[in-house]
Amino acid sequence: MADALAEQTGAGAVPLSAVIADAANGVVLALRGEGDPYALSRLLRQGDALASAALRVLGRDALAPYALDHRATPGGADDAAVVREALAAYPPGPDASEVSVWSYRGLVEASHAFLPGGADHWPQAPRAGSAWVTDDPWPRFSHRTSQLAALALPGIATDLAGRLAPRTDDLARGFIRAVRRRDWLQAAGLGRWLARLGQVPPTLGLDNGLVFVRHMSDGDARVALHLAAARQFYGRGG
Amino acid sequence: MTVTSAAASPALLHGIGDRALTWLDDHREHFRLTPEDRGTTRGVIERLKPIGELSVNLRVLFREGVAGSHQHTRAGRLLDFAWRELLDGGSVLAAFQHEEPFSSVPLEIYSTFHELGFRHPGLESAVEAGRRTLTWSALEMVPNRRLGVINSERQTGLVPREDFDRAVSRTWLGGLPEPWTVQYHIAYDITHTVFHLTNWGEKPDGIPPDIASYLALYLPAWIEDWADLEHWDLLGELLVVDTCLPRPALDAEIWERYAAAQCDSGAMPLHHGMPDGDAAEVFDIVHHPTMVAAFASAMAVSRAMSATR
Repeated sequence: MADALAEQTGAGAVPLSAVIADAANGVVLALRGEGDPYALSRLLRQGDALASAALRVLGRDALAPYALDHRATPGGADDAAVVREALAAYPPGPDASEVSVWSYRGLVEASHAFLPGGADHWPQAPRAGSAWVTDDPWPRFSHRTSQLAALALPGIATDLAGRLAPRTDDLARGFIRAVRRRDWLQAAGLGRWLARLGQVPPTLGLDNGLVFVRHMSDGDARVALHLAAARQFYGRGG
Repeated sequence: MTVTSAAASPALLHGIGDRALTWLDDHREHFRLTPEDRGTTRGVIERLKPIGELSVNLRVLFREGVAGSHQHTRAGRLLDFAWRELLDGGSVLAAFQHEEPFSSVPLEIYSTFHELGFRHPGLESAVEAGRRTLTWSALEMVPNRRLGVINSERQTGLVPREDFDRAVSRTWLGGLPEPWTVQYHIAYDITHTVFHLTNWGEKPDGIPPDIASYLALYLPAWIEDWADLEHWDLLGELLVVDTCLPRPALDAEIWERYAAAQCDSGAMPLHHGMPDGDAAEVFDIVHHPTMVAAFASAMAVSRAMSATR
């Protein structure tokens, strides 16, 4: 998705991937308890088309540090403005994939929870289909689940998490396939979900796997974000 | 919970093996040891190995009872050819044992023929002389091959010198390591350990329950990956492992891809498509994946007709 957006925004001075990486690094620092108290609007600014695109890619993770009450001041008006702009720029259309709708929904729900303005000032969370959770064969199912890794946080998307839990074994298979393919982002996303769902088969060696993914991903900021979430919220990954 | 895919049809499974056996029979002269091969120990071993694998294949075909009458006749002729023509009634093995008195290779080849009713008393006494030594059980070899040696001893009616369970615990699979660490060579270690645990698929319940559960959980990930990589030799071996599980998947989509990779002649490519080269060169590359295809087919047809899914 990031690559497609980068093309849409043209070959500007700063590539979208760099904006995403910068914002992801800011979230990682906040999740680790390092750096200044987190404020989204310091990383992604209102009126910047790339900021909206980056927020679409990071989704709910852009607000993850606000879930750590001791590490962030509550979101302010500037933060709310950036998020509102992104939500307005990328509303899921009638042809949107279920993954896109779930991702959008996650950002809307997080905005209700952590940003000022009250529910009336935010879009309604759209209904997101979940037939794929029960119907997709494990390779496609696990790939889709990894794309929703930003929802693997305590207390959100609990319905989805409940429906994913019976397919933990399939997510474990997806983790293996992703590592084998050196798709570190997918591996980290699946590892994060496995950390959230619990009941991971002990023989998977999830903790060693997450350490391995961190080592092999060579500092990729989005991978680091998933791994930081798995460690901060679920204590997995060493 | 998992989403179970459809099982492959017995006709598709059977066709792969039928075509593979036809190709092996059509190319049987290429199994023969040349004078050059006989010149070195390595040369002999390199040629004996395929003959041993061919005999395993034919034994599986007879044992599982899945061959049609035409295929059965062809397999019987090929087996006689292997023993009489290729091994000179076992004399080739006995000669090798004379050169390498403490090698387990002749026994590993001979054991399948022994099970099928062929005998060479001279070889048996030569093997027994080697087996009496401490060297026999101290020979260094990879752990899954040690299982194969113990199996060969059992098949020829000998009491193994080593404990099978202890040998299992020394294999990669016996340790149930992280499944995402599996690479090409580890995958072959896995398949061979399963072949020996089950005596080439004869006893699926020979896989200890913890290993069977581990394989049921993770084997689909490896199968999917090596199917995508079009590594047909390894995929075929992994498909055999599937047939050895208590509830084989016999995944139709994977088997259809495997069948589509097979050449019209019956040869199964090693990796991607068929290689270039003269007939001997092509044989050297594709005889193994083609034998694996025959093995996988026989096992899958048998399990498709009997197993609980």
